[in-house]
Amino acid sequence: MSHEALHVQHLHPMPTEAQLAGELRFKVVGRLDTHDMPRPVSGRKVRLPWVSIAVLAIIALGCLLANIIAPGDASYMDLASPAKAPCAQYPFGTDMMGRSIFAMIWHGGRVSLLIGVLATALSTVIAVVYGTVSGAGPVWLDTLMMRVTEIFLSVPSLLIVIFLQAILGPANVVSISVVLGVTSWPTIAKVVRTEVRQLRQSEYVVASRCMGGGFMHVLIHHFAPNFLSSIMFMVVMNVRGAIASESTLSFMGLGLPLEIISWGSMLSNADRALLTGAWWIILIPGLFLVVTLVCMTNIGNALRGEVNRGERNL
Amino acid sequence: MLNSDYVRVEHLSHRFHLTRKIAIDALKDVSFAIDRGEILGLVGESGSGKSTVARCVMGILKPTGGRVIYDGIDVNAAKLSRDENVRLQKERQIIFQDSGSALNPRMSVRRILSEPLDIHGLSRDREAREKLLIQNLDFVGLDPGVLESRPGELSGGQRQRVSIARALLMKPKLIVADEPIASLDVSIQAQIVNLFKHLQAEHGFTFLFIAHDLAMVEFLCDRVGVMSKGRLVELAPTRQLYDSPQHPYTKALLAAMPIPDPRRERSREIPVYHAPEYVTRQEWTRVGFDHYVLMER
Ligand SMILES: Nc1ncnc2c1ncn2[C@@H]1O[C@H](COP(=O)(O)OP(=O)(O)OP(=O)(O)O)[C@@H](O)[C@H]1O
Ligand SMILES: [Mg+2]
Repeated sequence: MSHEALHVQHLHPMPTEAQLAGELRFKVVGRLDTHDMPRPVSGRKVRLPWVSIAVLAIIALGCLLANIIAPGDASYMDLASPAKAPCAQYPFGTDMMGRSIFAMIWHGGRVSLLIGVLATALSTVIAVVYGTVSGAGPVWLDTLMMRVTEIFLSVPSLLIVIFLQAILGPANVVSISVVLGVTSWPTIAKVVRTEVRQLRQSEYVVASRCMGGGFMHVLIHHFAPNFLSSIMFMVVMNVRGAIASESTLSFMGLGLPLEIISWGSMLSNADRALLTGAWWIILIPGLFLVVTLVCMTNIGNALRGEVNRGERNL
Repeated sequence: MLNSDYVRVEHLSHRFHLTRKIAIDALKDVSFAIDRGEILGLVGESGSGKSTVARCVMGILKPTGGRVIYDGIDVNAAKLSRDENVRLQKERQIIFQDSGSALNPRMSVRRILSEPLDIHGLSRDREAREKLLIQNLDFVGLDPGVLESRPGELSGGQRQRVSIARALLMKPKLIVADEPIASLDVSIQAQIVNLFKHLQAEHGFTFLFIAHDLAMVEFLCDRVGVMSKGRLVELAPTRQLYDSPQHPYTKALLAAMPIPDPRRERSREIPVYHAPEYVTRQEWTRVGFDHYVLMER
């Protein structure tokens, strides 16, 4: 029986004759009226930024299908028509070296997105393992590891990136992903560590360890489901950050060389393009980059809101 | 006291360091043994160190002094062989007080029960596993319908039964239950204690049962140890302890047990036990058959 059914209320302040005759003194309220009562709104209702997701999906799909959309070699130089404005043959025009910007956008987007995903995958793995070891380990180890992350966070990451680039030599897709990956884990690691520190005392984790559950078992079955939702938005933001960093570095001439096409390396043509007034050379890759970053920011923010609203099992 | 070779708790001490300067002696030189197939109860006031004993026996806590020997294996040894580790993990199981936190709220009962099997790679065959899960749910009086539920959808009593079923799945030889009934209704408490008694008779496991409720302990346990302020102060067969308690703390504890007779209940006086501030020297003394008391010298 629901507890509402137990609420008993006087029908009238003054008993009527019928009631005095003992027919009906009380009315059970609550159960009958439950269908009118406001229902608790489900906290799981997600307001996803559908527009951002759709736009991002189209861009990602275009990059994946680059070979179908723009077949052939994207770095082919049509020396007869450099810096050509958008036309029927070249929908987005050509750059200073006569390469089709339309083809470069899709092929280069592939590289940019790949770097974003690779760098983030690497940083997330590092962060999860580092954070879990720190959170589940003894106090001295935790203190030591958190000091290390603080030192890491206090050094400008651009400095570390340039330093690592110098060690690794000429940049390529993998090396720049590694460099960006190993510099962007500390914030996620701190969140993971905090969640693990709270969870490791919980009895189901203790029980699991007693049953013989090893580090990886407890991490996958008990820790990860709890911290995944709270790091999800940071992961999306990390993809965004890695793409932005690659563009910045390439733009500054510290990232990918001109012959490896990415949105960033396309932008490094910008100075010469501006001199000649060839807006399409810089505006079109810039637009794709900015739209992609904005979409990712929207998705990331939506995920963050979701985390704050959703229930937690701590 | 240490007359058994199955579980031996030898001079167990544990000190929690709260800060660099402040420490709590949660256990001070606790020794006892548990026989195979025996139900040993452990009672005592809150903070007397019962849970700490349970955690040391399970190897969750590493005691600062003394040791726990389980069937010849030093539970807290730095290096154990793989075989010994697996034996410890399979043969000892713990049941916690609050089944709400002992079960991962995100997992279905099926996954919760499968966890120990997955860890040890047992009964991988789907049908065999299903049969095993249903059989173990049956032991604790749950029907297979709960397999898809999450702990949040079950009542406290049902959750505790799931905890027990998970412990039973590994066919344990030793079950450590840390106040397994304290968070349940009185009527459910009786059900669960009856279940323990029935299961113990059926499966013959050894049982370390920690509880507040002296009536339940009297009903369930073969022997009872009484703890106070980190020390084991009395250890005796249940009947003997309840009939002739020797230590002043045990006397006070038993005197506080409600008597199911209102007239006697109203007129009686409950003695209060004050632990001596400074303990000079205490010694275990045998006062009867298998009955030991910590006495002042
Ligand atoms: N993790 C811990 N850190 C610091 N002190 C602790 C910790 N766990 C227990 N203690 C202290 O150790 C002492 C014994 O605690 P323990 O949990 O063993 O008592 P208990 O007999 O199980 O009590 P209860 O009946 O309330 O469960 C208490 O004084 C407690 O404050
Ligand atoms: Mg306790």
